[in-house]
Amino acid sequence: MELPSRWVFLLFLFLSSTKAFGSEVDKEEFQEELLLKPLPDRKVLAHFHFETRAPPCNSNGRHHHHLFPKSISQMVEKFRVKEMELSFTQGRWNYERWGGFDTMSSNNAKPPGVELWAVFDVPKEQVDASWKNLTHTLSGIFCASINFLESSSMYSAPDWSFRQASGSLRYGMLPREAVCTENLTPWLKLLPCRDKAGISSLMDRPSIYTSLYYSQRLHLTSIASDLEGLNSGIALEQTLTVVLHPSSQRTGLTHFSQSYLQPSWSLSSIFGRKVNGRCVLAKSSKVYLQLERGLVSQLKKSENYGADYIASEGYDGEANFELSVNPDRVIKEENSRNGISSSLLYEFSVDKYSNSKPFDLGLTWKFPVIWSCQQAPLHASRFLMGSGNERGAIAILLKSTDLNDSSPVANSAMDGCELRVNIFQVVPWYIRVYYHSLQLFVDDQLKAVGAFVEKIHVMPSKDKISPGMMEMVLKLPCGVKSAALTLDFDKGFLHIDEYPPDANQGFDIPSAAIGFPDFHTSMLFPSNESERKSPMLSKFQESSPVLLYTEVLLVPLTTPDFSMPYNVITITCTVFALYFGSLLNVLRQRVGEKEKLKSKAAAKTGRLSDLLSRLSAKLRGRSQEPMQSPSESSPLINSKLALKVLLMAALAVAWQYYFG
Amino acid sequence: MAEEISESPNDPPPETPPSPPSEPEFDSKTMRKTKPGLKRLFLTFTVLVSFLLGFPFLFKSVEIYRSPLPFHDIDILSNDVVSNPFLFPCHFQAIFVPSDPKSSSIDVNLDELELSIRSKITKLASKGIGSQCGACTNNFTLSLTLDHGDCTQSLSKFYKCGSIRAVGLDFSDDESVDEALESAGLDFGGKVYSVVVVVNGKGVEGVKVVVGKYRHAWIVGREWEVEEVAERLAEIFVKVFVNGGREEGLIHGEFMPVGADGRIVLSFNLLNADPRDWIYDWDFQKIDETLLAPMIDALGPIANISVESQVLYYTPKFTFSSWDEKLGGYTLSTKDLPFFVNSNEWHLDTSIAAGGRSKILQFVVYVPSAKECPLLLQLPNGEISKTNAFISPMWGGVMVWNPQSCSRDSDSELLVRHIMSPRGSWQSGQHLSSKFLLDLQKVSEVFAGQFRQLFGLKSGSLHVGAVDTYSLLASEKGFTEWELDFLSRQHTCFNIHSSTTTLGSLSKLVQSLPRMIIMDEIGKQVKFSLEAANLARSNASLGFYGASAVSSRQARSLAEDAFFHPSIMSVSYYSFEHCFAVYSPFFLPVSMHVLLAALREWRRYKQEKAKYLLWKAKEKVAS
Repeated sequence: MELPSRWVFLLFLFLSSTKAFGSEVDKEEFQEELLLKPLPDRKVLAHFHFETRAPPCNSNGRHHHHLFPKSISQMVEKFRVKEMELSFTQGRWNYERWGGFDTMSSNNAKPPGVELWAVFDVPKEQVDASWKNLTHTLSGIFCASINFLESSSMYSAPDWSFRQASGSLRYGMLPREAVCTENLTPWLKLLPCRDKAGISSLMDRPSIYTSLYYSQRLHLTSIASDLEGLNSGIALEQTLTVVLHPSSQRTGLTHFSQSYLQPSWSLSSIFGRKVNGRCVLAKSSKVYLQLERGLVSQLKKSENYGADYIASEGYDGEANFELSVNPDRVIKEENSRNGISSSLLYEFSVDKYSNSKPFDLGLTWKFPVIWSCQQAPLHASRFLMGSGNERGAIAILLKSTDLNDSSPVANSAMDGCELRVNIFQVVPWYIRVYYHSLQLFVDDQLKAVGAFVEKIHVMPSKDKISPGMMEMVLKLPCGVKSAALTLDFDKGFLHIDEYPPDANQGFDIPSAAIGFPDFHTSMLFPSNESERKSPMLSKFQESSPVLLYTEVLLVPLTTPDFSMPYNVITITCTVFALYFGSLLNVLRQRVGEKEKLKSKAAAKTGRLSDLLSRLSAKLRGRSQEPMQSPSESSPLINSKLALKVLLMAALAVAWQYYFG
Repeated sequence: MAEEISESPNDPPPETPPSPPSEPEFDSKTMRKTKPGLKRLFLTFTVLVSFLLGFPFLFKSVEIYRSPLPFHDIDILSNDVVSNPFLFPCHFQAIFVPSDPKSSSIDVNLDELELSIRSKITKLASKGIGSQCGACTNNFTLSLTLDHGDCTQSLSKFYKCGSIRAVGLDFSDDESVDEALESAGLDFGGKVYSVVVVVNGKGVEGVKVVVGKYRHAWIVGREWEVEEVAERLAEIFVKVFVNGGREEGLIHGEFMPVGADGRIVLSFNLLNADPRDWIYDWDFQKIDETLLAPMIDALGPIANISVESQVLYYTPKFTFSSWDEKLGGYTLSTKDLPFFVNSNEWHLDTSIAAGGRSKILQFVVYVPSAKECPLLLQLPNGEISKTNAFISPMWGGVMVWNPQSCSRDSDSELLVRHIMSPRGSWQSGQHLSSKFLLDLQKVSEVFAGQFRQLFGLKSGSLHVGAVDTYSLLASEKGFTEWELDFLSRQHTCFNIHSSTTTLGSLSKLVQSLPRMIIMDEIGKQVKFSLEAANLARSNASLGFYGASAVSSRQARSLAEDAFFHPSIMSVSYYSFEHCFAVYSPFFLPVSMHVLLAALREWRRYKQEKAKYLLWKAKEKVAS
């Protein structure tokens, strides 16, 4: 370990070139945020949002990192990913109870299993190769079987229904992927503080994995700074959305209203942990508590909560609920629409908390309050019809949600407007969908499809090559009560080695995505907040179309007996062998001798002894003539058969004994 | 054939027409009069033979595709490599120059000296120094020149007489001498190692031996024995120029930190053990551009090197350190070092940018947390390591970097992110302490030293010889020309050995698994690998070190590619058991029938023939 006394010579080089880097280095930044939201059905939504940004760098290639995860940046650079989203989800988002018409549901409600889509910045013919490499890389990074999306029968290339990306978008889903901690740990590894400090330290594995809904998402965008897109910055957005069921803290009380009261909770009661200060590397570290519109309007109605009060003070100990920590700021959503009440955000900054004084936000309800959340224009569900292992039908049912007058659909229903619905569905090839059998029922009446379809794009499946994909835009009248689409299909047969290990469980058809391009969700916050804006809030401000996912379907396919091929081989071979053997025997039969045998049939002995003598005679190669043959050819064949069977059995036993 | 005419040759004898009375008594049980027929025998044997003939066709039809591999060439190459080791040519020359042209002539007997040097070189080589793989002590030329002004005794074909005398030498400044000698064109296009012996040098006490950055060294001294000169020359030639000046037993030559595909990824990591105490950051871009780029360039023939860096946080070390009052710091003894690297928390991550078989060398700067702040590495002799760093062969190096003052500066509201920079300014920029100046400088020096050590070279600047100590001049590229030559030779040799063993194992594997599919691509890779290996060998024998290193690298990477080809790795071979299981249900019973039928017919034919012969004999006797 001797210090080489060299390398002093380059000092002068640095003295000349030290102007810029002080500020350059700082540009990689990280922000952490947590949003908590009480849900109408006594649940609590926790939404973690981490954002890491890498600035565009001016050197060719990015190799040096300060906060930004090296692996992600290398991946983006290697595969020229323009935009990508990967989500791991467990459970299903309950659109009726947890909301279907807000930014949370349309951005963070994901189909069960793994969903991956990516847009590449490469020539069109290289997109597939990039996608394949990307899936392998991601499966290595996240310890998941994302590499199954590599085969062309597992992914599709939607044109316009999913998002606009001329040909360089690939989309794949693995509905059956089990999500667990082994996927969370590598995801956390991308954060500079991992779960050692800051808000992410709340992620107590047992509590988040017993949640009703768990969705872990990674979204990255490369922001091209020049035309070639070579020097691009990367924005990495990692979110974790969980819906937790807080156990009521005051079960001992027997007050009647207790059963109607929303459960009170605190961070330590739902996660079992507290926040011990911020992640020191984060530029900002904030916790928000959101009260959604429905809740705020309910609170307004109750007399001890003045509307002005919310706006001015925001927080009140006398109100319906009590917070254990005073918020630093209250942000009121600017709602231009109809003057209905707008949602409220209480902001808590974690900066001032530390190990000795941990942050533990608690919410205690004082009076029962019942509210409902905003629904998407239509509620979508998908199911299977038909029975048997041969054919069936997929049905997508769109039902109008229970509309109140605040809904935009009902408002515009009067003037004969139209409601546009995007449907994007990918079906694996072994479900052979007959697209000509598409039927549309509007308000339970069969209607001509052409009258309602504005645009349709169908890509029929090719066996073992590509899945079937259907993109369509439906134009429904606004007052529609229900609309149903049905598609007939035949079940295909898979090759024996294409069956998964648990083939009898059935096969999953990935969720369909239903979008409402005319409806956008966004929350507007006062514009003077712009300089202090957090990435999560600016994400909420972005207008995003309402999107919802349907259920995953489970289709039982005929599963073969997996030992069948060998059985077939064995029986065919045995038949052939028998045929061949008897043919050979017939060829070398001597008719004269047989007749002589017939004539000699005089002295009758027992069948068994006869058989034995024959056997011995055979073994001695017919050195002596058979004594008698009491009957005709049938015992002869019998004895031969018996001999064969015996021989085969002996061989089988020997084989089993020595090699089995 | 006779049996064609006999319609019922197998008819039992009783049915044969009654014999004429003159004939001997006829026992129908043991005799027959007609020749036994051959029809059924022929039939069964035809079936048997056709079966036997069919087997090759069957085997052919179930045969799997195997690209023909040049097994013979592989054997030849591996035998060749074993039986005649590499013969790199080396040219040594020693030039004797009087320091003062007008002074008295040097009375050296060059022939005697040459013999002496030769014998000493062979003696050193026989001791095992400089005779390892990639050395050139068994194939060297030696020429001595006396540059006397009139160039009478010039024997060297490489040295242009008078070129040293043309440049003025000032021996108090080694760097300038080095440059001057280089400009004199001593190394003849990179092939000759020369030692300039300056007799009666001015301004030098005793004897001074310096090895330059290029391919020459010089000895300046006042007076000496001839034997001593020979000793020194032999040592410089063998230990320095041939053997790279490395210490024995440091890192064995087999541990080449170069990936199988000839690439190295240098991954630099700055670990902040606890960012709550302090956060250090660095501007690695500058180190990369200014310090590492020339080094990477210089190592170009040996490996393709890429650099990446990251900063990690919350990365405690694995072992506990103990407070040492005397040293004023937390110490960690050498025996704890294997447990220093905390693979759970230090996610140094393999690089996505690197290919599958690249070698990743991790260089780690560990900034300890406040509660273990001056963290010192203690050598076995109780001293503190000067560099506070250690290497792990084939993995990389770790350096512990202690902040200037170990008191945490969390008094301030927001933690300042300190930037380790070559200029040494804190990010806040107010205090430019001169102590902090050499910060990143020191780090990169340690990195360079560790990198050299990982390659098996010395990290110091002194070489202790038998007679006296030589000083080695450092190159700004990190590696001097003669060190690069040494590395090229060593790597060529290692790569060729490695590729031959890989190819040898591949051919063994392929021959031992006759039912394994071998793709055409593998065949091609093997062929190209062999070609590259042969090219490397021929280049080596001509003395093109760089070119031979490049093609040997190619040979190795192709051989590894062939060996680790995915089609070999996957379960692509169709086992014999499988084949047996599929075909035995048919062939076992059928072959039973065929064999038994043939056997029976044969027996019967023999029996009947015996009967017939017996009858024939009887008839003969009777007649």
